Amino acid sequence: MCKPPNSIIHFDNVSFSYPGDKILFQNLCLGIRSGVFYHVKGPSGAGKSTFLRLIIRLEEPTQGQIFFKGVPLADTHPPHLRRSILYLPQTPVAMDGSVRDHLLLPFTFKANQDLQKPDDIHLTEQLKRFLLDDVRLDDHVQTLSVGQLQRLCFIRGMLLSPSMLLLDEPTSSLDPKSATIVTDHIKTMCKTSGLTTLMVSHGDVRSRSLKYRSLMVADGLVRKISGRKELA
Amino acid sequence: MTPQAIYISNWQLVFGLVFILAAGIMSMLHSLRLERDLLLGTIRTFVQLFALGYLLNIIFALDRVWWVLILFLFMIFFAAWTIRGRVGEKQITFFFPIFVSMLLSYFLVSYLVTAVLVGAKPWWQPQYFIPLSGMVIGNSMNAIAVSLERFMGELKKQRHEIETMLCLGANYKEASHTMVQSAVRAGMIPSINSMMAVGLVFIPGMMTGQILAGADPLVAIRYQIVVMVMLVGSTAIGSFMVVYLVRRRCFGSADQLLLRPMN
Repeated sequence: MCKPPNSIIHFDNVSFSYPGDKILFQNLCLGIRSGVFYHVKGPSGAGKSTFLRLIIRLEEPTQGQIFFKGVPLADTHPPHLRRSILYLPQTPVAMDGSVRDHLLLPFTFKANQDLQKPDDIHLTEQLKRFLLDDVRLDDHVQTLSVGQLQRLCFIRGMLLSPSMLLLDEPTSSLDPKSATIVTDHIKTMCKTSGLTTLMVSHGDVRSRSLKYRSLMVADGLVRKISGRKELA
Repeated sequence: MTPQAIYISNWQLVFGLVFILAAGIMSMLHSLRLERDLLLGTIRTFVQLFALGYLLNIIFALDRVWWVLILFLFMIFFAAWTIRGRVGEKQITFFFPIFVSMLLSYFLVSYLVTAVLVGAKPWWQPQYFIPLSGMVIGNSMNAIAVSLERFMGELKKQRHEIETMLCLGANYKEASHTMVQSAVRAGMIPSINSMMAVGLVFIPGMMTGQILAGADPLVAIRYQIVVMVMLVGSTAIGSFMVVYLVRRRCFGSADQLLLRPMN
């Protein structure tokens, strides 16, 4: 019952509560299908962020197990797990330094030494792709707007070629134009490279060209909503 | 023998309370509400120091290595307990690692100072070992408390930075590197600064004591130099060890940050 086929992530009887707090999730059984775009919805405080954080082990279940590609998360190497599942939090963090430093930060970590460090040409291309043509690699990160910074963080994460995306309201701090760019780009990637995506968003991100599903996080549960029900 | 310092009689000690009284009046006039703490502090000063005086007299008279070591153990225990209270972090328990690391490192420092630098024979001679190790413990206790407070504060304040780095493949050491640096620096700076100011801005307590007791100032400064370098070393060792040990406890088995923003 708790072993859905074809799932990249599956929750096996997972319960979670913050220390000294009420139970947030109880006996979650859920499969996340590979290559699908999931829109994660739910009232605030219901645990949407925590749901994503459990997948990259920023929180550990109080009970039960989560599997990534059939391997229990407890058996994974945390740095490797986190670079193959890109998690973008709601508020982007600007470290001290230039745009180049910011983009190359992951390549300074020990666990990423096996990855090829991208050159300036590649980095500039990526900036252009996300409509950041007026941003130069030598600019200081602190001079960027929140919207630009959010896109920069997204580009940085993608340099690690993740196989799954967890996005926690990535467009909440963006202007409508940038938000559309980021959302469209995510959708395109999800479609062309089969990137499994979980995106928390209050907006409407439905798309006909995607394998699209909705997840509702509420009352200690995460439920799949069928497309028809949602339209009704 | 060197000449003795002038004896302070009980009446003279009681007369010293006028200073406390002055502070108390200030507190009342400006409603600082420090009266209670002033009273408690004064009582504790008298009781604790008289107790220490008698205890040291007994230990000097017994002249046994075990009693010296037991006293040393107690001092470490209370120092670790004080740090635990001062940092006041409920989410992480760290009494035991502090206690053990202080015990080992400060025993080593105190031993080196008494046995090698001062050359006391035997090394545990109470007259040397107790006051010198007491200074090591007291000063490092402050350094460790400052380091830990800073460390925990930075971890909470920079929670997003740390998690961002973790999410990009950093391990917990890489993600908390700058916080460790800032914490250890904060712990070490006071003892380094006091090396700069010593003799110019203040006459250190221990040297003052020796001079009052009639020692040659040229002997007293030699002791003071030993003490200064010993304190720099012990605060460095103490801050480093404790921050490293406590850091491990602030992160879980998945290298995730366990400290929560609340409380």
